[in-house]
Amino acid sequence: MKFGIFHELATPRPFTAENERKVLMNALEQVRVADEVGFDTVWAVEHHFLEGYSHSSAPELFLTACAMQTERIRIGHGAVVCVREMNHPIRVAERAATLDLLSGGRLEFGTARSSTWTELGGFEADPDRTKQDWDEFVRAIPGMWTQERFSWQGSCFSMPERAVLPKPLQKPHPPMWVTVTSPGTELDAAERGLGCLGVATASLAEQERRTKEYKRRIQLCDPAGHVNDRVATLNFMYCHEDLAVAAKRGMSFLGTFGLLNSHLLFTREAWPTTAYQSLGGVSAPAASKGGGNPGAAYGVPDGVAIGDPASIVQAIKRWESVGVDQVNFLVNACEILPQEQVLESLRLFAREVMPAFREEGGGRA
Amino acid sequence: MTLVMTGTGDASRLAEGAPVVEALAREPLALPGCVFVQALTEIESGPMCEMLPPALHPTLPPVVGFTVWDAPDSVWGPFRMAQLRIECRSGLRPRGLLVSAVVDQPEAAAGLASRFGFRVTTGEVVLDRGYDATRIRVATAGKAGLFEAVLRAPQRLGESDTQFVSSLHPARMPRGLRLVQVDVDHAVKRAERTRFGIEHFDAAGWGEARIRPSLALPAVVGVADVTLRPIRYVCRPDVLAFEGTEAVDASAA
Repeated sequence: MKFGIFHELATPRPFTAENERKVLMNALEQVRVADEVGFDTVWAVEHHFLEGYSHSSAPELFLTACAMQTERIRIGHGAVVCVREMNHPIRVAERAATLDLLSGGRLEFGTARSSTWTELGGFEADPDRTKQDWDEFVRAIPGMWTQERFSWQGSCFSMPERAVLPKPLQKPHPPMWVTVTSPGTELDAAERGLGCLGVATASLAEQERRTKEYKRRIQLCDPAGHVNDRVATLNFMYCHEDLAVAAKRGMSFLGTFGLLNSHLLFTREAWPTTAYQSLGGVSAPAASKGGGNPGAAYGVPDGVAIGDPASIVQAIKRWESVGVDQVNFLVNACEILPQEQVLESLRLFAREVMPAFREEGGGRA
Repeated sequence: MTLVMTGTGDASRLAEGAPVVEALAREPLALPGCVFVQALTEIESGPMCEMLPPALHPTLPPVVGFTVWDAPDSVWGPFRMAQLRIECRSGLRPRGLLVSAVVDQPEAAAGLASRFGFRVTTGEVVLDRGYDATRIRVATAGKAGLFEAVLRAPQRLGESDTQFVSSLHPARMPRGLRLVQVDVDHAVKRAERTRFGIEHFDAAGWGEARIRPSLALPAVVGVADVTLRPIRYVCRPDVLAFEGTEAVDASAA
């Protein structure tokens, strides 16, 4: 089992330069501490226009700073939005290869297609085409990284033969992932040999179903590049010796995060289409149900990592038991928790929780 | 430190024009074979918080939705209805705050107001369906030409490809001013996505002059068995849903 921290860069209003910078600086400090204490990966999302919820619109820059301030932790570019109006695949390949070089071969490369109309509409992207674009990106980019010169004739983009430079440090190329929110995307991941990067909270039962199907399908895949046969899931983490303190503090940032997420305009809500079968996002389970009690808070999924070390070990064991290889944690939102509490939680997790998984796994990769 | 955007409008202002509801619907209202239109448009964001009471949150970006029902069969006989809602969030749930509605049949208008809290006036609702375009025209006696739109270039959708969102209807009830949550089920038999073009929109005539459409989104035209469920929840408009949601028991309004 590997552990990551996951940054959305949720930012409190007002969106002053001071607040924006504080969020970035605190996140960087969390990454440095995570690197020191043994977390495996730091992930940063790509989002646009998502007021408060995520100001991570230039993750390649944030992650470059992470890479230059750390020694060991892997750098999760997760995920790049592979939609023609938002990123050109050549630029994506170039930036990612450069980040792999700067990080000394620590890049994990995530791909996505965006789940909100807030973002797709802002770029005037066609939601019906995003999966097609994503498919073309993930099939083309490994070629750009591995072939001396590369050409492509597609429906999303075309290019005559050119050398896409630089090439990444990792050979044949950095591990590739796809974010999974809509049901069935785990199969798209498996069929292309991509890692399954869960970014919406799923129940244990749903995760078990997805993981089984993914592991079965990936054995038969037509890989887009080098196969990355791993399943990661998203969780929330706050670790404290006192269970009651952990619950109070952890649920405060979890609740805030869920509330911010639910206010986005998801693609399916704004743009009727077969291309988006889920509302997406953290609050999708609540939002997708017709009606329902609006007074009910967002239901915490099974196995949330908020608690004392023993209860968190128990929670993660449950994820491990359904085949999850990596758990990525959101550790704060909108600076709800003071930075010192976040850092202490990371340190306590590393001290008391990680060993329970090192012993059985025979050490960390 | 402000974290989420919340309505800043005067909750008591919702009472203006809100129907009196003595007894909420305890039985479902079935509208079999109903032709429906659901059309959303982004709106200018300036007043998005002022247009909502403190119970609700705006969506990002802010959006309003037009719904039209052409119901050939109901307990009141056939009727047509057009609604305007401000799409929003109540707690974590997507909702639409009803601005007002126009119904072309007085008995249906009275029943929808008194049981489901529709703020409704009687008027003309025209839904002309053609092979390649559907035209909508809504007018009331006193305010001719509330809304005109055309829906073009239909494309077939799957029966489960449209997202329907429950409504909140301001109503004056024995317990005070409340937002009545109206949950509507759609058993879709046919649906088409169309290009939505607004030709005329009288925001003030609908009851919210600050609504200014900015980017029309695709609209859905379809046929469904529509069912308005018995009312289960009402919300206070002045506090967040987590605090102000009240379950409706069978014995009280």
